[in-house]
Amino acid sequence: MAFGLIPILFPLSSLGQPPVELIRHREARWLEMTSHWEKAMARRYKKVLCRKGIPSSMRARCWPLLCGGQSSMDRNLGKYKELEQSPGDPQWLETIEKDIHRQFPFHEMFLSPEGHGQRGLMQLLKAYTVYRPHEGYCQAQGPVAAVLLMHMPAEQAFWCLVQISERYLPGYYSPEMEAVLLDGEVFVALLRRVCPKAYKHLQKHSVGPLLYVTEWFLCLYSRTLPFPTVLRIWDTFLSEGVKVLFRVGLVLVRLALGSSENLRDCTGVVETLEKLRSIPARLVLGEYGGVHITLAWGKMGDPGTGEGRRRYTGSLHGEKLGKGGRQSPWHGANLGP
Amino acid sequence: MARHMFRIILLGDSTVGKSSLLRRYTEGSFIPAPCPTVGVEFYSKMMELPPGIKVKLQLWDTAGQERFRCITRSFYRNAVGVLLVFDMTNRKSFEHIIEWYHEVASIQIMEKVIFLLIGHKSDLKSDCKISTEEAEGLAASLGIGFIETSAKSNTNVDLAFETLTNTIYEALKNKEIDLQEGWDGVKVIHKRTCNPQKKRRKPQEKCQC
Repeated sequence: MAFGLIPILFPLSSLGQPPVELIRHREARWLEMTSHWEKAMARRYKKVLCRKGIPSSMRARCWPLLCGGQSSMDRNLGKYKELEQSPGDPQWLETIEKDIHRQFPFHEMFLSPEGHGQRGLMQLLKAYTVYRPHEGYCQAQGPVAAVLLMHMPAEQAFWCLVQISERYLPGYYSPEMEAVLLDGEVFVALLRRVCPKAYKHLQKHSVGPLLYVTEWFLCLYSRTLPFPTVLRIWDTFLSEGVKVLFRVGLVLVRLALGSSENLRDCTGVVETLEKLRSIPARLVLGEYGGVHITLAWGKMGDPGTGEGRRRYTGSLHGEKLGKGGRQSPWHGANLGP
Repeated sequence: MARHMFRIILLGDSTVGKSSLLRRYTEGSFIPAPCPTVGVEFYSKMMELPPGIKVKLQLWDTAGQERFRCITRSFYRNAVGVLLVFDMTNRKSFEHIIEWYHEVASIQIMEKVIFLLIGHKSDLKSDCKISTEEAEGLAASLGIGFIETSAKSNTNVDLAFETLTNTIYEALKNKEIDLQEGWDGVKVIHKRTCNPQKKRRKPQEKCQC
């Protein structure tokens, strides 16, 4: 049972394991790295190693180290226990409770309401609402927390969730969700440059980015792609940040709508969205369950979601979100690294 | 012969069963606990109204959690029909219907949007917190119809969509809904005027990425 997923329901989840020797070799390397993490992370090959994929057995140790969750945890000893024991706001509890049994119901950990998976998820999400009462709980945090819990104990998972919500994707899960709206616009602008054909098609049929990127970005692809691919994307995301989400999204759109052949079947909004929703797994699954998407790492240049995004955000500063529209001054900005 | 396209949106609190209702209607299946909808999902289905009129329904499912409204709100204005869904075993979801109604009314640019109130999960009779009379009262005060449905036992699901579609069609026929340029709630496609598929010059052309 690969990744804890019931194999009949997830036939692809058992695919794509590297040969045992390679796994052992990588494990040894990562193990060695974790013993002097700061030094190892300063080296240039960190990015390359993460793109190759972190060995399954090392993710529990490496994800918290990579995202800074481990150091937050070390700085806040005992904090999680305190949050976990707090009764929490009944309104949030009710909302969270409704979703608990709906996250990865086909994963062995989350099968039973009494199982440690569902109980852990409840505690973890509640703890977050106590930790950040103004942010509260966003339904999209459920799957993210669940994937974290599949890999590590609740305390580590909690601090990773905090890092993801506050450092990696600030404003994604907050009550106004302003950053998702903004990143949707940024995505379209990038698409225009990277794949004009798909861009024109989407414009023609008025398919806005919020129709497809919302779930991709908010759930970090955990509900979209085959599980081995999701994990490889997370390895890279935690090492390089939000730009990974953009790149993967751009590749997905390109796979779905990048050729005239594909576009011919898409006569309207519904057909176009259907195409985006049903990208064949064989196109996505690369070596060892990883990502064909890795092809795109170098090829696309750096769609500059670091610098470009900052500039774009800057240009909108003081304006109400969304008013910047598609003709924002950012269009002319240099996106390159 | 004209073909119609109606865009219908489902609104209501989280876990009232919007996605289940749509899945039952479009796929004929029922999953007890589907993942929470994040953002907007879409479905479509063809329907034939009695005199041989074909209607393609574009059905938009929305996330019920309040914070997603900033995303879902932009889709209200392009809908001609709205299903306001509440859970018959959940009083709060019923009380929020009026809020959902005003949400749409305040944004919709069209004079006429067709609403239908849905009391969902009617199979859970013993747990019902809202009586049929009470729900009918609310529907009457808003001037809209009311139907009790259950995706689990497949009760009245087709009826609900047929009722809404018929009402929209009637309103269209009586010119209560007018078609506006740039509004996607209703599209009428006249077959003869459709361009035959243009031959592309380079069918194999790939994106220049």
